Amino acid sequence: MNVHLRIIVAESSIIVRNGVVSVLQQININRIEVFEIDDAEQLRNLLCKQKTDILIINPLMFENVSLQQIRKEYANSQLKCVALQTSLIDNSTLKNYDDVISLYDSNEYIKAKINNLVSETEHTANNESLTTREKEIIVCVIKGMTNKQIADELCLSTHTVISHRRNITSKLQIHSTSGLTIYAIVNKLVELNEIKNYSQR
Amino acid sequence: MSKIKIGKYTEADSMSNLICENYPALLVLSRFGMKLGFRDKSIHEVCSDNGVDTKTFLAIVNLLLRGDTKPNYTNYDVFILSMISYLHNSHNYFVNYRLPDIREKLTNALQQELKDLNKAVLYYFDEYVSEVRNHMSYEEKKVFPYVRSLIADKGKGKYNIGIFSKQHNQVEAKLTEFKSIIIKYYETESTNEIDNVLFDIFNCESDLALHNAVEDKLFVPAIMQLELIKYGKKS
Repeated sequence: MNVHLRIIVAESSIIVRNGVVSVLQQININRIEVFEIDDAEQLRNLLCKQKTDILIINPLMFENVSLQQIRKEYANSQLKCVALQTSLIDNSTLKNYDDVISLYDSNEYIKAKINNLVSETEHTANNESLTTREKEIIVCVIKGMTNKQIADELCLSTHTVISHRRNITSKLQIHSTSGLTIYAIVNKLVELNEIKNYSQR
Repeated sequence: MSKIKIGKYTEADSMSNLICENYPALLVLSRFGMKLGFRDKSIHEVCSDNGVDTKTFLAIVNLLLRGDTKPNYTNYDVFILSMISYLHNSHNYFVNYRLPDIREKLTNALQQELKDLNKAVLYYFDEYVSEVRNHMSYEEKKVFPYVRSLIADKGKGKYNIGIFSKQHNQVEAKLTEFKSIIIKYYETESTNEIDNVLFDIFNCESDLALHNAVEDKLFVPAIMQLELIKYGKKS
């Protein structure tokens, strides 16, 4: 469920774009999610919507999109920008990029470049382990308590309960109460007869 | 050297080639109630033999195989009515055959000694099945009758297809979650039974995704067009 790397390929030529995507598929570095973009508007939308690790972009096609602007606007200082060089480009332009990929680079060369950039990006480890508080909240949730009831029971604000629940969902990638019940039983957080719905069955 | 086949299937292509080259298309056949054993007949011939509209059949096949969302049809009424019959059979297949079959295989694959956990697993699955049932029965009871009355020109009610398309959720998402919970948390010896049920769930997931795509990409746009023709206004 967790993706290690999100890459956007921004290039208006479909042949070049598909070529880049196909090379990315072949070099097979961990798990990547690749998004193809062919105009600046889409790029803005996508950057707004999600955190991106690497942006591979043709500097000529998006002349009115400046890198500083992108980094500032989307408050993502870790975003790595790679120039996709399809023709001769002024060195002073290329200097603004973290790296350059050109049309004749080999698979290995591109792989090395991407790997370099990745090792620089800070990796948020996929930490699935829950805090004691989060475990307590799971137990309450599967007992069918409302956020308000949980807040009262654990002396928290409803707001805090909601934020704990959001963290639980994102750590476990489980969205339903019945899914959390399975998790809780496997991890011995709860006995089945403590849960109303189940003991009636 | 690598070989790839490109291009879409047309009505003159051989039906047996279509199925042999793309086994998932088998499901489209059975949803239309078409019989196997078609020798060297073309797609169009097999469709006519079975009383199925060829254009609707190809629209679904090409969506399945190529992601095509611009079907080539001119007769809305025929296209939409064949679509309804396909979707209806498809609902029947999931609710009365596919999901009960998975449940039975699942029950057999679970380890007897994990009593509590098994209860929770089956509870999740049953909850999911009843969601699918509601989802599909809404379409049967609300959407299809609306569309039939639209075609029969029975006057404009309050309902329109836009209402459906806004609330139409992805019914396979929860099955995906179920599968990943089993894989992550259900500690068991790897048995043929558990493999078997997981393969079935993976397949069922992509089946459901196709079912949704047929509804969202082919059915709903066709109804919207028809609404536009009949009422001259977007819903």
